[in-house]
Amino acid sequence: MATLSIKNLYVSAKGTPILRGVNLDVNEGETMALLGPNGHGKSTLLAAIMGNPAYTVDKGSIFLGDQDVLKMSVDARSKAGLFLAMQYPSEIPGLNSSDFLKAAMNAHREKPLSLFEFYNKLQTAYKQMGIPFEMTKRNLNEGFSGGEKKRNEILQMLLLEPKLSLLDEIDSGLDVDAMQIVAKAIRNEQAKGMGFLVISHYARLYSMIHPTKAAVLINGKIALQGGPDIIERIDKNGYEWIHDELGIDIEKEIDAPMNNVSIGACATKVKINDKQ
Amino acid sequence: MTSNNPKIITYIDNIPSHLSLKVNPNEEMRLELASFSLMKDTIIDVDVATNASFIGAYADFSTGSFSFKVNVYLKGEGASCLWKLASLSKNADKKVFEPSVYHQVGHASALMSNYGIVRDSSSLIFAGESVIAKGSIKSSTRQEAKIIVFDKDGSGRASPILRIGDNDVLASHSASIGRLNEEHLFYLESRGLSHEEAKRLITLGYLKPIEDYFSDSKIKNRIDMAIEGGI
Repeated sequence: MATLSIKNLYVSAKGTPILRGVNLDVNEGETMALLGPNGHGKSTLLAAIMGNPAYTVDKGSIFLGDQDVLKMSVDARSKAGLFLAMQYPSEIPGLNSSDFLKAAMNAHREKPLSLFEFYNKLQTAYKQMGIPFEMTKRNLNEGFSGGEKKRNEILQMLLLEPKLSLLDEIDSGLDVDAMQIVAKAIRNEQAKGMGFLVISHYARLYSMIHPTKAAVLINGKIALQGGPDIIERIDKNGYEWIHDELGIDIEKEIDAPMNNVSIGACATKVKINDKQ
Repeated sequence: MTSNNPKIITYIDNIPSHLSLKVNPNEEMRLELASFSLMKDTIIDVDVATNASFIGAYADFSTGSFSFKVNVYLKGEGASCLWKLASLSKNADKKVFEPSVYHQVGHASALMSNYGIVRDSSSLIFAGESVIAKGSIKSSTRQEAKIIVFDKDGSGRASPILRIGDNDVLASHSASIGRLNEEHLFYLESRGLSHEEAKRLITLGYLKPIEDYFSDSKIKNRIDMAIEGGI
């Protein structure tokens, strides 16, 4: 069973509480839209599920089937079938895309792929995502445009075949054609049984991938859950009606503290107190 | 036009303390340096003539404390310089690199790119300058420096300097120094790579690209071994 079950989850970033008691279930093969005003914790929730060390889980539990996700390392979560398509994928200098993909795919298998299998899978996925195969020679995300990075995230999803994919604003930075390609790839995987938890600010992506459920995250909690009709309502009317109907005061954006980065002279970027 | 047969000069370990090189008009020169043992102070001067190109690569896995200077003089229009450095410093070694380029005429281009890994309590400094003389219009120059400091007693410093004497030039520099980037580690680990493997791949990314600038596969292999042994 690959049901994701989140109970009473409290998460903070650098001491600032962001999630304050999230309860949410995503059933196997389900596509859930995760909505909510900016700064109320949508990305934090996805990051916490994947185990981003920038966030601290203070309380609560996350289970994938019977596996206790919070006890697992980040790579173990990936191997258990979770995948996070990031809003801002990292550019890794000097790391060749194809070397990275091979290492990642092999990490998910007991026996390493043969060169032939690897290239076949790679070619199929690049073709499906409309990315030129020459891009395998480029360094991972380095110098990629916003849209290329997003397609590259979905490409990795196709190659790693997770059970549940968490998509954090996968549609931002995509032009219309790229959006079609990404939506089609998602629909293909839905048909194969992959589950999705999807953050987007636009009804357009949702209209292309047909979520089965929707949840609204407000003030660090799930304020409302239901069918896809919620998406349409929010798209038309914003979030105010939730205040009127449910009596929830929508707080101003919760400001997460800035990263400890100082930009010095000569654009020298020095990371201070960055743990290893 | 550059010739199809570049002149290749290679020094493995026995790098002279002073080296003067001249790249003649329309010629290409490749300087391939690698050090794996004790290294001493070194100065290299390179004159690059009209439409000539100089490509210098230094794979530094040496021990010892030293200062390494390379001064590239772009003396003719169409001259170009590409400098690549990958350095690993360990123990209590103090290494100072000053890769500099001097644009003495216009229409010349240079890229100075320096990557380093600092281990133990060693220190690594990248302090080259790119100078565009007055009148050297349509020049393009870039300095890049990236250092990862692995251990808490180690130190890294990058202070690229640009001195621009005229308008109508392209000049840029970038530098980053820091611990292993947490976001990068998280990104790779979220794809199923273990913490150790993610660390290794990020570090490889800093050092391994230097291998592309060596023509002899035996030297490439030796650099590979030095990287694997050093990280």
